[in-house]
Amino acid sequence: MNTEFQWRSEMRKLGGDVEPAHDLWPNIAAQIATRSTARNRLQVAFAIAATLIIAIGAGLAARRGNWQMPSADSNMASAPTAMDWAQPRDTKLAAAARDLDDASAQLQQALEQHPDAVFLVGLLNRANGQRMRLLRQTSYTGA
Amino acid sequence: MDGATLTLDLPLTESVAPNADSALVHRAASGDNAAFEQLYRSHVGRVHGVILRLLGMDRARAEELTQEAFVRAWQKLGSYRHESAFSTWLHRLGVNTALMELRGRRDEQAMDDEELQAAAGGEVPFCAGERADLERAVAGLPPRARAVLVLHDVEGWKHEEISVELGMAVGSSKAQLHRARGLLRRTLGGEA
Repeated sequence: MNTEFQWRSEMRKLGGDVEPAHDLWPNIAAQIATRSTARNRLQVAFAIAATLIIAIGAGLAARRGNWQMPSADSNMASAPTAMDWAQPRDTKLAAAARDLDDASAQLQQALEQHPDAVFLVGLLNRANGQRMRLLRQTSYTGA
Repeated sequence: MDGATLTLDLPLTESVAPNADSALVHRAASGDNAAFEQLYRSHVGRVHGVILRLLGMDRARAEELTQEAFVRAWQKLGSYRHESAFSTWLHRLGVNTALMELRGRRDEQAMDDEELQAAAGGEVPFCAGERADLERAVAGLPPRARAVLVLHDVEGWKHEEISVELGMAVGSSKAQLHRARGLLRRTLGGEA
């Protein structure tokens, strides 16, 4: 009997599972690991970049609001100690300093996980450079 | 009746495994490679089978694309919404991976539906053949005709679904099926 039903049942017999001749998992696992590492690095870089942007933005905002030459009186009244320089009294500068310290800590942590990531070293240097500028500014203004 | 020997031929991956799959998918989506390996072991046969048939039994290329399908599945796990069985989602992803090869081939797309009907050679009746003969004959079909035949007659897809995946009109899908069956009949000597 030549029917559509018979045709379809014959064709359905061609279906079903076929195991590959080789185990494909090792290659799949390797590709997944490579792409996951690349993705993790990107995520770390984005997180750090975001933190840096916030920190730098906060630093610039603080600088605009507070940048002024210190008067002799104010310096005489209370000379800043080393600790004052490390942690500014001005709330905006203090927030920027905290952000930069957090960014440095994250970068150092990321570097421990990915010691071969050269771009992290560059970001760490940049964060430390910003922190040093903030420190200098604090020492000049006494903020 | 000997009830003790009664067995049911249930498609386990569809009816029993979804809950187990679901837990594994959640684990895999959060980065658990071992969970994803279990999913791979459970489903690789089905995915590789359909890719192999769509590629005309090109085993080496089918293995490459099966691998690619699972890597894509890993990347897309976050977008899997658990609305359909994982096996169905994965199977479709495998089909799509194989069809990406066919979509790039423009050689057959110039044929219009009338040409396809003429190539089929009229009404196509059932043609019986040995499985191996049938497999060889299907593998020898032009790629797009083979894809439509495999998806419709072997995998049970509807023309509407095929037309979407292959980027063709529903009528073209029907015409390609007609053509594929006609070519198969000739290859298998059904007209004699």
